[in-house]
Amino acid sequence: MTSPPGGYFGQALLVDVSEGDVRRVPLPDGVLREYLGGAGLGTWLSTELGPAGIDPLDPAAPLSFVFSPLVGTPLTTSAKFAVVAKSPLTGLLTDALASSHFAISGKFTGHDAIVITGRAAGPTHVLISEEGVELVDATPELGLSATAAEEAVREKYGRRWRAASIGVAGERQVRYATMSHDGRHAGRGGLGAVLGAKNVKCVAVQGSRRSELADRAAVLAAAKDLRNRSFGPATAKYRELGTLSNLLAFNAINTLPTRNFQSSTFAEAPALSAEDLAESRSVARSTCASCSIGCEHIYASKSGKKARVEYENVFALGPMCGVSDPDQVLEASARCDELGLDTISAGGTIAWAMECVDRGLLDVPWLRFGDGAALLRVLDEIGERTGIGKLLAQGSRSAAEVVGQGSSAFAPHVKGLEMPGYEPRTMQSMALGLAVNARGADHNRSGAYEADLAGGLDRVHGTDEHVRAAIETEDRAAVMDSLILCKFLRGVFTEPFEEWAGLLGPITGWDITGTELRETAQRIVLAKRAFNLREGWTAADDWLPERFLDDSVELDSGRTATLPAERLRAMIDTYYAERGLDQHGRPQLVQTDSGTEPTP
Amino acid sequence: MNGAAGIVLAGGRSSRMGTSKAALEWHGSTLLRQVTGVLDRAVTGPVIVVRAPEQKLPELDPRVVVRDDPEEGHGPMQGLAVGLDTAHTYADTAFVCSTDLPFLHTAFVHAVLRGFQLDREQGEEAPIDVVLPLVHGYRQPMAAGYRTGLAPLVAQQLRTGRHKPAQLFEECRVRRLTDEELLTDPRLARADPELDSVVNVNTPEDYERARARPAPEVTVERFGVLATRGGTRGSVRVRAATLAAAAEQVGLELDGHIVAAVNGDQIRDDGQCPLLGGDTVSFLSADAGG
Repeated sequence: MTSPPGGYFGQALLVDVSEGDVRRVPLPDGVLREYLGGAGLGTWLSTELGPAGIDPLDPAAPLSFVFSPLVGTPLTTSAKFAVVAKSPLTGLLTDALASSHFAISGKFTGHDAIVITGRAAGPTHVLISEEGVELVDATPELGLSATAAEEAVREKYGRRWRAASIGVAGERQVRYATMSHDGRHAGRGGLGAVLGAKNVKCVAVQGSRRSELADRAAVLAAAKDLRNRSFGPATAKYRELGTLSNLLAFNAINTLPTRNFQSSTFAEAPALSAEDLAESRSVARSTCASCSIGCEHIYASKSGKKARVEYENVFALGPMCGVSDPDQVLEASARCDELGLDTISAGGTIAWAMECVDRGLLDVPWLRFGDGAALLRVLDEIGERTGIGKLLAQGSRSAAEVVGQGSSAFAPHVKGLEMPGYEPRTMQSMALGLAVNARGADHNRSGAYEADLAGGLDRVHGTDEHVRAAIETEDRAAVMDSLILCKFLRGVFTEPFEEWAGLLGPITGWDITGTELRETAQRIVLAKRAFNLREGWTAADDWLPERFLDDSVELDSGRTATLPAERLRAMIDTYYAERGLDQHGRPQLVQTDSGTEPTP
Repeated sequence: MNGAAGIVLAGGRSSRMGTSKAALEWHGSTLLRQVTGVLDRAVTGPVIVVRAPEQKLPELDPRVVVRDDPEEGHGPMQGLAVGLDTAHTYADTAFVCSTDLPFLHTAFVHAVLRGFQLDREQGEEAPIDVVLPLVHGYRQPMAAGYRTGLAPLVAQQLRTGRHKPAQLFEECRVRRLTDEELLTDPRLARADPELDSVVNVNTPEDYERARARPAPEVTVERFGVLATRGGTRGSVRVRAATLAAAAEQVGLELDGHIVAAVNGDQIRDDGQCPLLGGDTVSFLSADAGG
């Protein structure tokens, strides 16, 4: 048997928690080169190991923790892992990334991926090390937050363990429950519910086995260079204020979704801004493992609850719900962390419910826009699946199907995944990216907002140029999410594909080029689409809620931002053509050594 | 198809000016760049410049579409035919103007183009073909709105020797907008109450007078690290005719890491983007998002 490429162990660990069965499956070199790791390799694993058409909460549905060739190297921001499964929120593929020592310890167990299947008879922790796998009783930790459960595991079994855990929302299988380690969430698509359905509270890892590097000296030199570049102006925003610095800027450019996208500006935005918080409160700063950027900004509410503050959680729990009190927004964000709820889906679903109440479609009179106390109450009800939380725990798409009466037109989701904080009518590259991305309404797998905010395109009038720009960002994301590198580094790369090939070559020993990585990006994007096609996706799912196509946004400039359905249709058709898909958005599938694969 | 295009007829001879009007310096930019920049800010469709054969133009934003008059000497109708024909692919209507309008304001362009909507709002059956401002009693065919579908009619008029806009107007539905009607638009009334948008410069003296006016007063906002560094939060008012000038006055440089939005609209990194009285300029980090 030949050695795996540098940066890899060439195997995945499969753990069936029903019976405690454990086996290792080889990962062929060809597969590793074609899918790299992280989201790409996770897509391949999900396709190969997941039975077609399976219920995401079925015991046989696999959930994969996927590492990457960069994990464990000194390259900055590389301590990341992807969690990949069929989403209970969308019914399609979801992959979510998190950054922490879990990535390093998990890979150092000697595996490129850890795949969990089955359903344990009772509440269970899964402990994985180089020595083997142990399933232990998690009953004492039931009902704890993910952070508390992690701490309990480390107290019981030793500080060397790193545990990815779910909170109460995951136990209750809320469709947008997260899993987290060290407070950093694999947030989107309900992966916490998938783990909860397996009766698993924590997956804990420890290990010290390092993969080989093909050219250690070259990797060290590249790491030093990348670290130096990571301190430059391209990352200043993240380092100095964090992503929340988007809030006031987005408000100024009519792209801050407010009150369930009924407005694109929020008059009370300054009270929630990074600029205000930084001036009026003390901030604790933190970094992910192996990161030299340090984007995390942690603020405390008046009651002392601390929350990692990012643009998306503040947007979703603040302007989206019309809440302007920073203490209530911080409390709500901290509460989502405790329960293990995706803040974007929680905020979007609650905002939809608030609009339903306004329109008389839901009889929950206390749930009104702007009411921070109501926000906190409904988050608890969602996490516990009580009261109106039973309905809202399903997400806005399913809840709208129950409520009916036209409420689907303003349910803020694509493919069931709630929308992030970007107004698609005033960011039309992003509108396309949101509509066609495999994960659903998503700002991390399609970073098309970069094109809208770069200055080269008229962001309120989408054209074929916008489509090509969106594809470029989607391709970059596919590679970054598979290497894995933090996207906050993206500004330091001037020739990204070539530079990423330059990082990957000395690790793996592959003679790899930027051109090959571009092909890899296309393969990964299409593989996700092929997975979704197998699971029942149709071209009708590549679309935006009617609200965005029917209503316009008036800009202060005097122009009007509209996104007519025919323009969106034209952009999607161009996307299909540029991606080599058929007119219904379907990739062609061929049989290869790596399995059934899409071909452009 | 919807939206509007902007068309600049740059092919005039500039005989009274004695030099190319298009290339006249304007606050570190050129007059043509100023006018095309204002149109780019005002319309969602393309900005088209129609020039005379072999005419040299100053540097323009690369997105501007340049077309040639097939023949010189037929006046603005020739350029109008080319411009409308080019715009017809992209837009239903177009704001058409000459190069020599240094104080053209986006609010004026919008007020004129809104004239096309009035027929729909008032339930008129046939669409308006031309929205013709009557400013201070004078018709302004070179600061007017035209339906792009008029291109064949304009071409036919040229073939029959009818080279004057007034002759075109005899053949189509024209909505005339007086000062009072234009100024019912509150944004225009605020931004350009004297309707200086139609002040043109034909002679060196006109140009000197226009150039002597101070740069427009604009409000500048900074966000994120641009605001927190050095305690420079809050908005300030400065006089600046271009984005680059506004940036300089608050100690910033459009260096690739900083972009700007004017009045909450398009994101821009072009320092020569014109600014107009009453604008609000928002500077933000180029790496927005995340």
